[in-house]
Amino acid sequence: MKYSLMALALGATLLSGNAFAAKWDGGDDLPTNPLPCDGGAGTMAAKAYDGAAVTGSVDKSGKPITLVDVPKLIGIGYFNATTKGMQDAAKELGNVKVTTDGPTEAKIDEQVKFIDNYITRGVDGVLFAANDPVAIAPVLKKALSKGVHVIGYDANSTPDAREWFVNQAQFNGIAKAMVDNLAKEIGEDKSFGIVTSTFTTPNQARWIAEMSAYAAKCHPKLKWLETVEAQEDNILSFNQASTLLNKYGDQLSGLMGMTSVATPASAEAVTRSNLCGKVAVVGLATPNAMKPYVASGCVKSVVLWNPVDLGYAAVYVTRAVVDGKLKAGATSVEAGKLGKLSVVNGSEILLGSPFVYDKSNINNFDF
Amino acid sequence: MSATIAQAPARKWRFSLSQEWLLLIGIATLFIVVGLINPRFVASRNLQSILLANAYVAVAAIGMSVVIVSGNIDISVGSLIGVLASISGALAVAGVPVFFAWAIPVVISILVMMLQGALVAYLRIPSIVVTLGMLSILKGGLISVTNGVWISGMPDSFHLAQWHLLDLFIAAEPGKQAAVPESLSALKPMFDLLTMPVLFMLFLTLGAAWWMRNTAKGRSVYAVGGNAEAARLCGIPRERTLMMVFAVHGLFTGLAAVLFATQPSVIQSTVPPNLELTIITASVVGGVSILGGTGTVIGSTLAAILIAAIGSALIFVNISPYWLRAAQGILILVTVLADIYRRRQRGLAR
Repeated sequence: MKYSLMALALGATLLSGNAFAAKWDGGDDLPTNPLPCDGGAGTMAAKAYDGAAVTGSVDKSGKPITLVDVPKLIGIGYFNATTKGMQDAAKELGNVKVTTDGPTEAKIDEQVKFIDNYITRGVDGVLFAANDPVAIAPVLKKALSKGVHVIGYDANSTPDAREWFVNQAQFNGIAKAMVDNLAKEIGEDKSFGIVTSTFTTPNQARWIAEMSAYAAKCHPKLKWLETVEAQEDNILSFNQASTLLNKYGDQLSGLMGMTSVATPASAEAVTRSNLCGKVAVVGLATPNAMKPYVASGCVKSVVLWNPVDLGYAAVYVTRAVVDGKLKAGATSVEAGKLGKLSVVNGSEILLGSPFVYDKSNINNFDF
Repeated sequence: MSATIAQAPARKWRFSLSQEWLLLIGIATLFIVVGLINPRFVASRNLQSILLANAYVAVAAIGMSVVIVSGNIDISVGSLIGVLASISGALAVAGVPVFFAWAIPVVISILVMMLQGALVAYLRIPSIVVTLGMLSILKGGLISVTNGVWISGMPDSFHLAQWHLLDLFIAAEPGKQAAVPESLSALKPMFDLLTMPVLFMLFLTLGAAWWMRNTAKGRSVYAVGGNAEAARLCGIPRERTLMMVFAVHGLFTGLAAVLFATQPSVIQSTVPPNLELTIITASVVGGVSILGGTGTVIGSTLAAILIAAIGSALIFVNISPYWLRAAQGILILVTVLADIYRRRQRGLAR
């Protein structure tokens, strides 16, 4: 009896495996929301505005304003890039002055001190990328209570401590960019493997689940072989990627790297195995780590967002808030050369599709 | 007293020999079983991956074995390798001649290890405390200095770990594999395996094994590790022996760091997670008693290869790499049990 039940269960598992496209390992079980195949915006559950309100601010609509930008830390390529975007936007607008200032280490207590000092000194708005979403809330609330506008970018605070947050990328957007680029590079009916951090790392699990759903919808012939875990370890990632290449041989046409460590390590493994041009690597990574492989032609697309655009959008959003053009309930906001950006999740501005770094543009970035 | 000393080496050699045979049998079994499941596992390409990417662990485990035989331990080694790799890469990027980009980290490694050795030997601070402190200093220091920015753009000739044996004789251009002459083409798979890291691993293991077994200095490590007081009475100074042990360990750590740094095109300027545990595991599974006094470096190198092969095999048989940690744990337990069993057999159980 026991055995027949087990056999039944086994049979059912095998059947279901054949009947439905198996979900990829390493994804989570949360509901997915794959974007349309053609690049449309997709459906977004409507959500009421959940940001905070500023009190006692002077109406400076159309008048010059002074902003301070306090990123997680200063002096690194990533935030140098957001600063550049902010200066570009300020120059274009003409009536905005932005200063970037912040701690030299990503420490929340230092960051709070910087923001506090600028509130005392008097500014019209604070832009921030939080080192800690909860610990930064009190000083931001203090700013709001003194009539200072508060806009986040890159790393959010709790929604009740800021007015708006510029969100660099949503899970389904990243997933679409990854799968589309992979299918473009290896072909629709080829096989690939994934190198991720761990099956339970929240962001990676979310991306893989969304990728699985999007591929089933838009690239049904693409064949997923295996997901391997490599933590955030360069050498382990290299070993895991090499082993995938050795295990599947000609069967494997692509590798997807889910972390900024796994992607360069996968590219390294493909390079060392002399498989450049035969096995494509598509993944999330920062440009600097990928430059050698993009330069050698081994890697064609690196998926991430563009931090210059992120800083640029943050300044445009702040200007729109001061001018009264972006209010609770709005569905989009104009952001200069980026066009109309949509409002998502109540009080977040979505930067748009992820940015794909390739041979033509990767050397313009240094982070 | 003199009788014990004279007798000791022969007995230890037989002891560790059996652990080495055990490891060889383990490696052979693994390759046969997984090779039957998926023949690609034993293809020369995969053997190369296993050896090449892990040779530096074996090299570091040689130094670790010497330290453990002397009755000490070093948990700072993983962090030090991370720091030395960043220094090596940074020097190469700054335009320092590649020889110095390789040599300077080795010298720094020896100095850092001798400093730790001095604290252990002369101030009598337990090595686990000294090296725990060093681990924190190096780990925190590295992230503060580099801000986690990766190092890339090293010149081609820097990549020592990508050199093949034949490159030395035929092509002067590193990184680009030399064409194997027609007459030797049958041996090509073997030449493919003989990359610099593998050659380093072979020669350093054999050299260290010879030194530990056949020289007075090498034997003194066993003496101090087995019984420091007895060794002192025989005229082997504990302090100077420990300084030597840590200097030797520094040399091997430095060489391991150079192999580690010169392999990838990009150096991740953070400390490799759990590297010290993998290195210590290789030593212990190799038959080095954590109590000091016994073990050989041939065992630790075989153990490093076995651990690396298990890591690769897990993917070939579709098992999560998290089991690698469990597998290492099982190996340690089996080693200790085998050791106890062997001691019982000889009526030496403590």
